[in-house]
Amino acid sequence: MTPTRRQAAIYGTVPFLLVIATWAILPHLVHYPAYMLPSIGAVAAFARDSILDGSLLQAIVASLARLAIGFVIGMALAIPAGLAIALNRHVADMARPVLSFLQAIAGIAWVPLTIIWFGIGNGSVIFVIANTIFFAALYNTVLGVESIPLALHRAVRSHGGRGVRLVTNLILPGALVQILLGMRTSLAYGWRALVASEMIAGSSGLGYVTMEAVQWQRVEVIILGMIVIGVLWVAMDRVVCANIERRTVARWGLLQR
Amino acid sequence: MMDAAAIAAPARLRVSPRVARGLKGALGVALLLVAWQVSVPLVGMSAYFYPAPSDVWAAFVDLCRKGILPVYIVDSLARYGVGVGAGVLLGIVFGMLIGLSRRVSLALSPLLNFMFAIVEVAWIPIFVVWFGYGIKTIVLALVYVVFFPVLYNTVLSVRTAPQVLANAVRSLGGSRVDVVRYVILPSALPGMITGLRLAAGFAFRGLVFAEMVAAKTGVGYLIFDGAQTQQTSRTIVGMILMGLMWLAIDQFYLRPFERATVQRWGLTVDAADRT
Repeated sequence: MTPTRRQAAIYGTVPFLLVIATWAILPHLVHYPAYMLPSIGAVAAFARDSILDGSLLQAIVASLARLAIGFVIGMALAIPAGLAIALNRHVADMARPVLSFLQAIAGIAWVPLTIIWFGIGNGSVIFVIANTIFFAALYNTVLGVESIPLALHRAVRSHGGRGVRLVTNLILPGALVQILLGMRTSLAYGWRALVASEMIAGSSGLGYVTMEAVQWQRVEVIILGMIVIGVLWVAMDRVVCANIERRTVARWGLLQR
Repeated sequence: MMDAAAIAAPARLRVSPRVARGLKGALGVALLLVAWQVSVPLVGMSAYFYPAPSDVWAAFVDLCRKGILPVYIVDSLARYGVGVGAGVLLGIVFGMLIGLSRRVSLALSPLLNFMFAIVEVAWIPIFVVWFGYGIKTIVLALVYVVFFPVLYNTVLSVRTAPQVLANAVRSLGGSRVDVVRYVILPSALPGMITGLRLAAGFAFRGLVFAEMVAAKTGVGYLIFDGAQTQQTSRTIVGMILMGLMWLAIDQFYLRPFERATVQRWGLTVDAADRT
């Protein structure tokens, strides 16, 4: 370890230790009902139990599966639809206000309505995620096509490119950068929508377990849920999204930052 | 794609492109509403399951007449304003500290990165246990959402502030405070605004969700309560209102703000610049 890295590690660990120490000492200093902040031991014990009986893994798998299904449905519908809209200027002009409006309300706002349509459970949650991803991706696809330089358009057209070949050689690659960059943001929205819709309309998964614990005042469950939600998001954002960005957008030298 | 239309346009009716776009946009909205209204008898479901635009309009008029809607809108906007304001302030303060001091940055970055990953939605259950259902929980959730994007963008732009200018101020006898005031703050401002705009979008959804879970008024509550009490038209009034409120905030507040600061100094890369 180089000196600067060691320094960084030391500095970076101190606040974590402070938080943990405060958490450990707090019950001895102030009196508050035990349910408000369980001891570290209680959280650790609950973590161990839920890992051993498999319930934690079950909740994680349930949540991630819904996110994956919703994401795939949303993207698969949004990219063709976005290209179709963006290819015709008149259609794009007509669709723009409707799209930005629908993007503004995509996600969590649909949860109460989906409970009426699909009831509590998988249907509602997946609909909300697919809806979130769909409108974000649709918006980005249209934006991506519109940001293709006019000069490239003219170049391809003047060489006789049209129809399918125009789409495969210019429109799709041209819009891809915006689609990929937008994917990271839409996944962030999708993740929030997942946790939120599980809290209101779910019957399993991390969000459901965390919200359910409020009724029984089992704060150790809530805290473990929060930690797991945090760790999973870091994994998704840092590992999956960053890798996709590095292998595609950054490698093609198209990232403007 | 645009060439043919551009050449043909002057021969036909002379309409400015902006007006034409606006008209086409209005046509799109009208088409959607007509399609929705026409689809209702085709779907053949009860108004509870699939209300028509006319039902939604009736619910809207009813909510206005009873005076519920104005109160809800004001409540939502007040919560949003307080939460976003406090979040921005905290984000800027911590962003400046982290951006200016390497030690503070080394110490706080890992913890903040971890906290950022726990999305605000996940904090709401524990906020409910700690602070109950109400404004405290909602505002805290909003502060939480806004804090991080503002912080990260502030840090980034403080670090990328031109060192040459800082050196110039120092060599002309300026103090460190002068450097912060005349070099770092002005050059970090666009980053802060970018962060605010990103944060504002997340915060608005956070507001609606927090109101569903932890409020008894507001637009989020209207959406949630409408469905709970089988008044689906009210839910849709709430959703439309939410969309319009967000577009209004974005159009009349955030964008002019951005134009007045970021774009004026020529610091954004627009799609237009690439053409």
